[in-house]
Amino acid sequence: MLEHVYLIALIPLAASLVILFGFKENPRSRAPYLGIAAMLWCFLQSCAVFHRVAASALPLSYEANMEWFRLPVQIAGKAFALPLQLGVLIDGPAALMLCVVTLVSLMVQIYSLGYMHGDPRLRRYYAFLSFFTASMLGLVVSSDLLVTFMCWELVGVSSYLLIGFWFEKPGPAYASKKAFITTKLGDCGLYVALLLLFTKTGTFQISALRESVAHGYLAGAAATAVALGMLLGCIGKSAQWPLFIWLPDAMEGPTPVSALIHAATMVAAGIYLVARTYFIYLASPVALETAAWIGLITAFLAATMAIVAYDIKRVLAFSTISQLGFMMCALGAGGYAAGLFHLTTHAFFKSLLFLGAGSVIHAVHTNDMRRMGGLSKKMPITFVTMVLATLAIAGVPPFAGYFSKELILKAVYQHSPAMFFLLAAAALLTAFYMTRLIMLTFLGAPREEELHQHAHESPASMTGPMMLLASLAVVSGMALAHAGFIERLLPLSAAAPAEELAAREFPEWLGAGVSVLGALSIVLGFLLYRGPAFETAKALKRRFSGLFELLENRYGFDAFFLRLVEAADALSRFCFWFDSQVVDRVFVDGWGLLTLIWAEAAQLVDSRLIDRTVDGFGLLSLDLGGGLRALVRDGQVQEYLMYVAIVVSLFAALLLMR
Amino acid sequence: MTLSSCLLLSGALFLIGIFGALTRRNVIGILMGIELMFNAANLNLAAFNHFLHPGGVAGQCLALFIIAIAAAEVVVGLALVLAINRNADTVYVEEFNLLKG
Amino acid sequence: MNTLSLITFIPLLGAIIVLFLPKDRVRAIQTTAIAAASVSFILSVALFFFFDRATPGMQFVEHADWIPSMGISYFLGVDGLSYPLLVLTTLMTLVGLIGSLGVKNRVKEYFFWFLLLDVGMLGVFEALDLVLFYVFWELCLVPMYFLIGIWGGPKKEYAAIKFFLYTLAGSVFMLLAILAVYFNSTPHTFDILALMKAHSAWSLRFQILVFLGFYLAFAIKVPAFPFHTWLPLAHVEAPTAVSVILAAVLLKMGVYGILRISYGMLPLAFHWFLPYLVVIAVVNIVYGSLCAMAQTDMKKMVAYSSVNHMGYCLLGIAGLSATGFSGAVFQMIAHGIITGALFLLVGVIYDRAHTRDIAAFGGLAAKVPVYGAFMFLLCFASLGLPGLAGFVGEFLCFLGAFARWKVYTAVAVLGVLATAAFFLRMLQKVFLGPLNAKWAELPDMTARELISIAPLAALSVIIGVWPGWVLNLMNATILHMTAFVKP
Repeated sequence: MLEHVYLIALIPLAASLVILFGFKENPRSRAPYLGIAAMLWCFLQSCAVFHRVAASALPLSYEANMEWFRLPVQIAGKAFALPLQLGVLIDGPAALMLCVVTLVSLMVQIYSLGYMHGDPRLRRYYAFLSFFTASMLGLVVSSDLLVTFMCWELVGVSSYLLIGFWFEKPGPAYASKKAFITTKLGDCGLYVALLLLFTKTGTFQISALRESVAHGYLAGAAATAVALGMLLGCIGKSAQWPLFIWLPDAMEGPTPVSALIHAATMVAAGIYLVARTYFIYLASPVALETAAWIGLITAFLAATMAIVAYDIKRVLAFSTISQLGFMMCALGAGGYAAGLFHLTTHAFFKSLLFLGAGSVIHAVHTNDMRRMGGLSKKMPITFVTMVLATLAIAGVPPFAGYFSKELILKAVYQHSPAMFFLLAAAALLTAFYMTRLIMLTFLGAPREEELHQHAHESPASMTGPMMLLASLAVVSGMALAHAGFIERLLPLSAAAPAEELAAREFPEWLGAGVSVLGALSIVLGFLLYRGPAFETAKALKRRFSGLFELLENRYGFDAFFLRLVEAADALSRFCFWFDSQVVDRVFVDGWGLLTLIWAEAAQLVDSRLIDRTVDGFGLLSLDLGGGLRALVRDGQVQEYLMYVAIVVSLFAALLLMR
Repeated sequence: MTLSSCLLLSGALFLIGIFGALTRRNVIGILMGIELMFNAANLNLAAFNHFLHPGGVAGQCLALFIIAIAAAEVVVGLALVLAINRNADTVYVEEFNLLKG
Repeated sequence: MNTLSLITFIPLLGAIIVLFLPKDRVRAIQTTAIAAASVSFILSVALFFFFDRATPGMQFVEHADWIPSMGISYFLGVDGLSYPLLVLTTLMTLVGLIGSLGVKNRVKEYFFWFLLLDVGMLGVFEALDLVLFYVFWELCLVPMYFLIGIWGGPKKEYAAIKFFLYTLAGSVFMLLAILAVYFNSTPHTFDILALMKAHSAWSLRFQILVFLGFYLAFAIKVPAFPFHTWLPLAHVEAPTAVSVILAAVLLKMGVYGILRISYGMLPLAFHWFLPYLVVIAVVNIVYGSLCAMAQTDMKKMVAYSSVNHMGYCLLGIAGLSATGFSGAVFQMIAHGIITGALFLLVGVIYDRAHTRDIAAFGGLAAKVPVYGAFMFLLCFASLGLPGLAGFVGEFLCFLGAFARWKVYTAVAVLGVLATAAFFLRMLQKVFLGPLNAKWAELPDMTARELISIAPLAALSVIIGVWPGWVLNLMNATILHMTAFVKP
């Protein structure tokens, strides 16, 4: 069964191609069922793989490769054709990730049956979804960093296509480009890191790289450079500070897409890549520390920005950024298992939150929470599942988020208490803004009667996946954390700084304290946003308008990047001006002009000097002749004869005188 | 009789010829002057041949050529004179100025 | 078997037949031209099965005396470096001819010049004698001049003259260099293979002088900064199919020349020039993409993207490593296919809308989905999306250069970002957003356009997914070429 694990990535790819080329564009197309069937198969296979990996006592690491192409290289003075491999590497994280991706994708595809019902481009939608899942799965299983990078980019392009799915609207068209370019900016770092990696080790193979690092071929500054470059890529993909600007805008895409790509899978790819190459990070404490701080800053900043957003999807987007910051921080602080654990639980409850938001948007046709309110009675299933997910993300025991967040906080505390407190604050903010979301959307009195009147519960195709995910949001944490299972599944490689992990004991009261404070912040959110007009919150907003504005402007990062784009535009215009005016005009046409001037000068010399001289001789003889003729103009033969005689006698005289 | 006396004679003949050619108004007179100059040359040739190369004949040959050419020249000249005379009804050179450029 | 001669001169035969056909029998002229190009293409593809991938040396060699008194011979052969380019040339000529079926004006002359151009380009990649090389090199010039100057856009005469004079200026220096190596080799020879062994007797000074002579000719053709300004002009004015050939094949002659002649015959000077070459490459990449970003004309944008992409080739060469060289050759193939297709696509929209102004469109993806899909695919291929041909070439070039030039290569990676930016911006403005009502009646692609573009699109996917097919052809040759290079 493990022998055919590559099929998990290839079947969705095939499905996507079949859907794209084998079906006609039609709102009642059968194409979705093909995509769903393929994904169901992949999910079952993934579960089987997961079972195999979980059942084996040791961290099973299965690798199978085939030659892809041969690349001429010179390594250590020898020139030869190095085979590059196409292969799979299955270990604990990969198996876990496989299950997460296939499950969420399956749920989202089923959900989309309802959400995208009647869309004229349904076929294309499902083809893109399948293509995205295929590339994401490829990223997960690949045994080779080059292939991982390729899938990484393909994931990015499917995200581009899906964000811009409703491309007739200017918003999605702009957002898709922004997302692609911003992540591409991060990918430049990853690109350079891969180049450096290959230059130092001569391989992209993860297992071989692990060997290289173990033997110390990649250490010190080189390891730091590689790790930081990769980190830049992950910052872009996982929307970390300062490249998080694209994710809120990416919410222009269809909501199920946000649930799949921008909550559970693609944005988690950055975290996954850090985990996959964790051995390189372990060789570079600087990179780990950087990752931790970036995660921390992101977690905190994004949480604060989530507090002021009124667009239901943007709140979730900021929340996603913040949670990804948690994971990054955990990985940086050495909490390898904690980060990946949170990735898993987060995937479930965040995709659920997005699906719930989608369900709400489907009902009221707006994203603005200020126009909602009181939907709990109209949409009971959505309400209940959303509340469960909120409890999970807020870290309320015994829901999933509690276990993973606890683990993260523990790991971070062991790394540095200062970071712990900042992160704990972000966790409290999480509980607060999620309560705010629930309050504004579902509780209180309806703020717009008309919207409220037309609201209805979504069809079973949408609520079904939500209920399934809700159950996972409740139990997955407990199940995975049971008896240290997650730590066994995700063992840190042998090179772990074990002594540091053991150094600081996590006091039990701190964990309890965070839980209590979390509960308090939920209550606070409840109090602030009570009532139809949430007067208390509005008063606060008036009081601290400067702060709110700063938050609503996303700390000016968007403006900064916009300025950067403008600068690039100005630079490009300058370059083109330089090219057409200086290089072309001066350099090239200048040469032409110089030649022309030279030619003119030559022409001048020719016509004035040389030609005139020739003419001059002619004129001279003409003048001379004319003068002589004037002397003898009467035509008398005897006169001529006399001149002849005179001249002859003169010559004779000359001859005689010699 | 010596070479120098011969040369003096021929020089005198030549000068008479050239004087005639330059001064006569009648075109026939001019032709006659020219004939005199030819003959001065012929006399020169014969004299040089006789005194310097007594066995040779080159001088006499050349003189004979000149006589022939002079005869031809007179034919052409007289024909021209006749043609002019018929057209312009004159034999005085100062009245012929067709060569004036 | 004189396969190479057949491949080269069947287009010439076609050209002569076209010349004898009456000019109003358009269909016969088109059929003849396409038939000649097809035969040439099929023969070159047939060699694929006979090409020995393990031999680094020349294959299918043909040798005959031409002007024995001066040691000039008719000497053809291909190796792993030139064979892929040979197939690219025959393929792109065929595609270009299919793309030219819409030409209405002076059809006979058009196809005649086009086939003659094909002869010249094929010869350049096969010739192993410098005089022969020079003859073929110059043979490309004249047809190109007429093709741009007669069938071009509004400023065609200016563009044609500029192209002609510029490239001719380079060729003159090449001729000087050719004569210099001839008189400095013992025995005097024009044989490229023999000259490759003769360079050990040449001083660095002499090599540098000769190198600069050759480099000027090649750099203008590549085009390398600052000799690139004829390119956007020529591309904008040239008819679609000629732009295709210009981008897909003609530019490759420069890079091929650098690899075959400058590197092969003048290694010392090549080493001396490396630090300058890498700077030129990085300027080409970054500056080219920035210039492309400022364009409002789609065709000019694609033209500047060529400057950027040829920069990758130069970077790979400047890396002076097996990886970099193979990257450069791969990039040539990839760029030929992708940019050729992009020019065809721009031609498609121009034929319908009679404008190429990016701002004049909007929301076309809804109106012309097939066209949009091709445009997206090829733009992504051009900006280096993995899984498509552009990525492999670009990545190998970077990989090959990185070991030697870390900082330069890292700067060049920013060019990749800029490339993505201008392509995506163009896609957004032309295809996404609300449909511009002006184009509500725009028809989608016709069968003829599909026939010329679809194979290229398919190839860009196939080569991108399975680059081994191309790399296997050249691995042996390139490893042999770089066997003695110090890292």
